Amino acid sequence: MFLGKVVGELWATRKVADLEGKRLLVIEALDERRDPAAPKVTPVIAADPIGAGVGERVIVAFGKAARVALGGDGDYAYEAAVVGIVDDANVPDAPASWGFGEHAQDDNNPGGA
Amino acid sequence: MLLATVVGQVWSTQKDASLDGIRMLIVQPFVDGDQKSAETMVVADPMGAGIGERVVVVFGRAARHVIGQGHDIGIQTAISAIVDGMEFEGGRSFGPSADADPA
Repeated sequence: MFLGKVVGELWATRKVADLEGKRLLVIEALDERRDPAAPKVTPVIAADPIGAGVGERVIVAFGKAARVALGGDGDYAYEAAVVGIVDDANVPDAPASWGFGEHAQDDNNPGGA
Repeated sequence: MLLATVVGQVWSTQKDASLDGIRMLIVQPFVDGDQKSAETMVVADPMGAGIGERVVVVFGRAARHVIGQGHDIGIQTAISAIVDGMEFEGGRSFGPSADADPA
């Protein structure tokens, strides 16, 4: 599992049947080694059964854990899912881009928690 | 799962029998910004995606499920969706291909 920030959402008409009715979010991992000004990394696409919004920090699970969270079994066209929306986290040295703790009022932390 | 752009197609005659009849594409992972990903990957394509289109790529068991020929096949990555559009933070939108992105 990893901690990420929802940066976008995508839509697709042509898709496998399992993907019907599931939101697909574009998520960038929070990485304390990365400067916000550094080149972007490849984001992860995850199905979202909980209703996270763009800008929110989320917990993403992979593999069978993701399929279970989405209500499926082994035969399911997913391997990544949002399993939690983060209220707050205590990471004393977290960079401002994470939006936690003393940086909680950052624009992209909608809850301001 | 990963977002990627189709950059090519690949053919192979001498291959594992489990790959027979499966269309294989070369895709490049999507990166938000001016830079392009340096890497490419080969994916199975049951959807009929074309060059330039943005697609969702799934891995492992989910990829074999998408192909629909059981789990004993030599496939690790597959396309599960062809993207119509994307909405990113800051109200930025993307089209189905880089060419179709709103200015």
